[in-house]
Amino acid sequence: MEELTTTEYKKQRKLIIVWGITFLVVFPLLVTLGMLMRISHAELADISAERFYSFMTLHGLGMIGLLFSFAFAGIWYLLSTRYVKLKLSVGYFVYITVLLSVIGLAVAALIGKFGPGWYLLYPLPFIGGSWPVWTTGLSTVSLLALGVGWLIGILHVLYAMAKEYGGFTNMLGWQYIKNKEDKREIPVIVLASTISLVPGVLAILAGAVLLIMYLLQVMEPSLNFDALMLKNIVMFFGHTIANITMYCAVTWVYTLLPEYTKRPWYVDKVLVYSWNATFFFVCIAFLHHMYMDLEQPLYLQIIGQVASYSSAIPATAITMFGIISQLYHSRVKWGVVPLTFLFGAAGWAIGGLSAVVDSTISFNKVLHNTLWVPAHFHTYMLLGVVLFIFGYLYYVAGEKKDIHTGGVAKLGLWTYIIGAAGFLLMFYYGGMNSVPRRYNTYSGMGVDATHQAGVYGAKIAVFSIGILFIGLLIMYVTLFLKLTKKDETKNLD
Amino acid sequence: MRHFTTFLSIQESAGTISMIGTFVVVAVVLFVVLTSGKAEDKYEAKKKVYYYRRRYFWGLMALAFITLLISFKWMPYSKTSDVDEEVVTVVGFQWGWRMVNGASKDAPKDMMGESEITIPAGKTIKFDVTSIDVNHNFAIYDKSGNCVTQSQAMPGYHNNLRYKFQKPGNYKILCLEYCGVPHAFMVGEVHVK
Ligand code: HEM
Ligand SMILES: [Cu+2]
Repeated sequence: MEELTTTEYKKQRKLIIVWGITFLVVFPLLVTLGMLMRISHAELADISAERFYSFMTLHGLGMIGLLFSFAFAGIWYLLSTRYVKLKLSVGYFVYITVLLSVIGLAVAALIGKFGPGWYLLYPLPFIGGSWPVWTTGLSTVSLLALGVGWLIGILHVLYAMAKEYGGFTNMLGWQYIKNKEDKREIPVIVLASTISLVPGVLAILAGAVLLIMYLLQVMEPSLNFDALMLKNIVMFFGHTIANITMYCAVTWVYTLLPEYTKRPWYVDKVLVYSWNATFFFVCIAFLHHMYMDLEQPLYLQIIGQVASYSSAIPATAITMFGIISQLYHSRVKWGVVPLTFLFGAAGWAIGGLSAVVDSTISFNKVLHNTLWVPAHFHTYMLLGVVLFIFGYLYYVAGEKKDIHTGGVAKLGLWTYIIGAAGFLLMFYYGGMNSVPRRYNTYSGMGVDATHQAGVYGAKIAVFSIGILFIGLLIMYVTLFLKLTKKDETKNLD
Repeated sequence: MRHFTTFLSIQESAGTISMIGTFVVVAVVLFVVLTSGKAEDKYEAKKKVYYYRRRYFWGLMALAFITLLISFKWMPYSKTSDVDEEVVTVVGFQWGWRMVNGASKDAPKDMMGESEITIPAGKTIKFDVTSIDVNHNFAIYDKSGNCVTQSQAMPGYHNNLRYKFQKPGNYKILCLEYCGVPHAFMVGEVHVK
């Protein structure tokens, strides 16, 4: 593309800083909701069931919304300052729609106590809920707005890449397979973000169809949709978005890690095969959410397990080994950025493994909807995506320039990791003891052993979240100090 | 539930596998960090890593394939070889369970039943599980607090869940699909005689 002018560069940089600050403000608020849920589990304070479930819903939707939005914004900044021209107006449009929809969701949850969980599993939002109908309407409209914002942003990015790199198949890297000498080369981020964002488009469209059905149901209460079909749709939406949040964040690692190791990372045939395979598996792995719907056709169950297993192979063999071959004997200086990237990959691997365990049908029949499920996805979110985000933020804040002064930041990182590990371990402990997920309290189940295990784990979790907060605070201070230091902007590349 | 081996329950196996995996990942991270100070040409380093990558890839493919085949043996789905010695009809509702012995002739919403039921030990029981309002999940817990098996209870669908209770005793039924505010209190009981 043509050179970016300094003002254009500064404007794109401002957008990512706005996103970064938004992340830093909203993230601890949503963590606080999570902590309140664990406090209720630990029986340390009385939180009404209505409150609990509205917190749970806002926490789940908010976290996924925030993390995916930031993951997208991160791709946007890297692409727009290096490879393709992206319109700032579209960037801010996405930002505003995300913000408005988050406000809508927060109003519905905090004022109207809207509480059907992130997945709004049909027909729960309409039958027997303790929340008023307007909250269902407002949340549906907010989510639709969010979807529209994301969709427009993603399509703009995909279009810009297609224009720059000569069409969609080039973005998928297919020219590498044909072995032509004069092929159009692409940077890894183009391949990886195409493969992450196109399933995102499909997921958002599916989500939109679902939400429109919900709006119809709000207007015409006598309607009756097929519950299993709608569950398949909502899981396709939610699972895919959660999955590609990680893949989007990984594109930054592909782009930024080489700057620290001085080892360029190119697209090659193996990478193309691997990411194209990922594309396929990401779109069908969601079927593992229906294992305990025994009436779901058997072939879909088997495809679910095969796809879940298969998706682990390219992810670990290519991305993880790629990261290792970047770092192995590289004499890299272990500043916060390469450290968070390496640790983030490790968190992803661990969360991925416990996900694969749970995606085994014969394990799922006792782990399904126990705390094992939040255990695995919180692992790869908290110790994966969130670590990548912090690495990214340190990068944007200009960490590269003064690598050696990151000691305090690293202390914050370690504190965060220890807190997160304690919190996660208690989710796994709960899962191993069959403690159910989405219970506001374990006091009513009448199974003493499970009740006790649940309370005990939650107490340690609350303590660990406290440690995590201290780590966050330290990282915030160091980030803030770096950001406010003048003159960093010029020496980034 | 002792199922795969005589040593570990499914839950314990899941924990053990994940723990071993975590140790391996942590060991690799430590290795990469601790050895990174040595300088090596990037092509040499890459060649070495790729040597292991190839082995890892084929090893993982083989492992995934074998695990897939083996694990399918314990799937909870209906088979033609199933012999149902007893039938229990289960209807979930907001917020409780109605159960009757035998196949109920009533439509689910008209079926009367109790949240407690008595069944024999050592026989394969077929639970015919459905719901009359939202999604629930019929999960059976043993006395030591382990979930032994489960099935979604979905409006408009009849899921057939089979289980053979080896030991007599009291088992609890919990709901494992979020179904509204009193979800954590939606319990039932199975007495195995
Ligand atoms: C320290 C930070 C966090 C804490 C303390 C926390 C805590 C919790 C708790 C207690 C639950 C309810 C578990 C249950 O089912 O009983 C939950 C659910 C959930 N969390 Fe987190 N969480 C944290 C971070 C995250 C992050 C980073 C994400 C990113 C995606 C996330 C996404 C979710 C989702 C999607 C749910 C499911 C909500 C639902 O079931 O509807 N959480 N979290
Ligand atoms: Cu329930």
